Amino acid sequence: MKQQEIIKNTYTLDKDPTQTQEEGPHADTMTINMGPQHPSTHGVLRLLLTIEGETVIKAIPDIGFLHTGIEKTAEAKSYHQALVLTDRMDYVAPLSNNLAYSLSVERLLGIEDEISEKVQYTRVILAELQRIASHLVWLGTHALDLGAMSTFLYCFRERELILDIFEYISGVRMMTSYICPGGLQADLPPGFNEKVRAFTSIFPARLQEYHDLLTNNQLWLERTRNVSVLSKDDAIAYGATGPVLRGSGVVWDIRKVFPYSGYERFEFDIPVGSHGDVFDRYLVRMLEMEQSLKIVNQALEGLPTGPYRVSNPKITPPPKWQITGSMEALIHHFKLFTEGYRPPIGEAFVRTESPKGELAVYLVSDGSAHPYRMHVRGPSFANLQVLPRMIEGGFLADVVAGIGSIDIILGEVDR
Amino acid sequence: MVITAASTIETVQSVFPQAIVETVEFRDEQTLVLKPEHLVEVCAYLKQELHYAFLETVTAVDWPERVPRFDVVYHILSLTHRCYIRLKTRVGQRREEHPTVPSVTGIWPAANWYEREVFDLFGLTFSNHPDLRRIMMPPEWTTHPLRKDYPLTGFELPEPHWGGQVPYTTDPGVGDYYQQTLRTSDGRGLNEKRQQVNSEQEPGTFARSAEDDTSATSSTTRSRTQAQSQDGTRKG
Repeated sequence: MKQQEIIKNTYTLDKDPTQTQEEGPHADTMTINMGPQHPSTHGVLRLLLTIEGETVIKAIPDIGFLHTGIEKTAEAKSYHQALVLTDRMDYVAPLSNNLAYSLSVERLLGIEDEISEKVQYTRVILAELQRIASHLVWLGTHALDLGAMSTFLYCFRERELILDIFEYISGVRMMTSYICPGGLQADLPPGFNEKVRAFTSIFPARLQEYHDLLTNNQLWLERTRNVSVLSKDDAIAYGATGPVLRGSGVVWDIRKVFPYSGYERFEFDIPVGSHGDVFDRYLVRMLEMEQSLKIVNQALEGLPTGPYRVSNPKITPPPKWQITGSMEALIHHFKLFTEGYRPPIGEAFVRTESPKGELAVYLVSDGSAHPYRMHVRGPSFANLQVLPRMIEGGFLADVVAGIGSIDIILGEVDR
Repeated sequence: MVITAASTIETVQSVFPQAIVETVEFRDEQTLVLKPEHLVEVCAYLKQELHYAFLETVTAVDWPERVPRFDVVYHILSLTHRCYIRLKTRVGQRREEHPTVPSVTGIWPAANWYEREVFDLFGLTFSNHPDLRRIMMPPEWTTHPLRKDYPLTGFELPEPHWGGQVPYTTDPGVGDYYQQTLRTSDGRGLNEKRQQVNSEQEPGTFARSAEDDTSATSSTTRSRTQAQSQDGTRKG
């Protein structure tokens, strides 16, 4: 009975903002809703803001409007089917999600060493192109929030070039599911290198255009410098990762610290901020795009030839031409598509550096063909948790800058 | 001194021998299973002495047939020593609907939202949590979706595509602790109304009131008119 009371009491939502209105030192405060349909909340984030004049005293994020139960759904799918769900989490960077999930399944299966160099290089190229595409969406919308309309148009122009590459290799612009457990869905089409090179040759000049538009722009500096400052200790304590953590001056990048998919082969730097304000996070992402380009060029340079997936018939389907001729192949094909593969009992947690931060997939296997539990440690979820620490004490108008600078994707926050 | 995951396990084993249930290694990942009553103590030690300053995630796994039923899983990371370790604690005795876990928010503030998520989706309560309320599901929700006995589609439908008719009496099997349905309070009334509909009603058609009978005669599809005549005879 006591338990029941605890549960019942905890269900009441948002009791504190109304209390501060009545009594206490902040008698002149007002509680307002920002979102869930506010254009600058990047989806369906609701913020309960207690303001005194123009100053934000308290901010309570309210999430869950986009809760789609991806973790629950994955439990009813086979390992290969659940891949498609991961595309929908961070829908601005689906290939990064695919990569994290695939690596996790591969560790569970114990086939990490069988992944060929070609697959690893291709994955790196795609993940870095995806990082650039994701940062371009962020830059465009962030600048739009702060009033710089034209940047948005330029960013989406360049992002379209990257999506064209994805469409060329997989037939789909966004939800490609191209990186899959065991390798890639299909071999790279001829002409892939030229397509990517065409992009990498024009992009540095375009990146310079954004710098010209924003980095030394007085209006931009005034809107972003010393705004929404996040200290180093807070960033670590609240679990912020990615550009938010690096913007606060912590040198931490999973690609360097726990290299996956062959990142140790490439040379690149980690841009790190110093003040932890919106401008630092902005600059970290801008410089990251340069580094990503560097990695893409190196990977293209050394892109080896080889199989595009592992040759284990228990995990990847046999080639179509074998099915009509070989009984073995037909059985494997049938078993794979009716049942799937069965990893041994165990669990795996693989960390990757997605465009937003540390994306990790925790998979528990009970020996069946379905993931017993899939948990996704999404970077946006943890980064959003820090938001009140950034914007409390600042101006109401700077809340928009704060939200934009952490680059949240609500699909990943709510999953 | 360099700290690795393996050395961490050894250190904890020597300092807190009474707290450890078992240690597991799978695919080079170290797992330390702790007793729930010693969890906070060990976590504080791990953070202060062994520099595990970063909590990545807190989640849970439901094993309905097992006692204790739930695994609560913590992934922690040391930024200075570049190593990671997985902590687990097992809670949930038989017939215990909402097991309690000590909260680690005092050690890692990042645990706040993660523990709220586990509370919301698994129904585990965290003692000493500053703000324990639902985070994903609506606040008036009564059940916990990520439990294994929570049905995936919400209801077991009597017939496929039965016009959305759902028997209210279907027990999703989450237990008799609450009067269980998977709808909110508004939805319950709706379900009750739907249950009163004649079961001979044609699949895919809506229940109609008496005044609709005159206006709906111009209906074109054959099935629709059949359904009307059936309804008409029943009412007559």
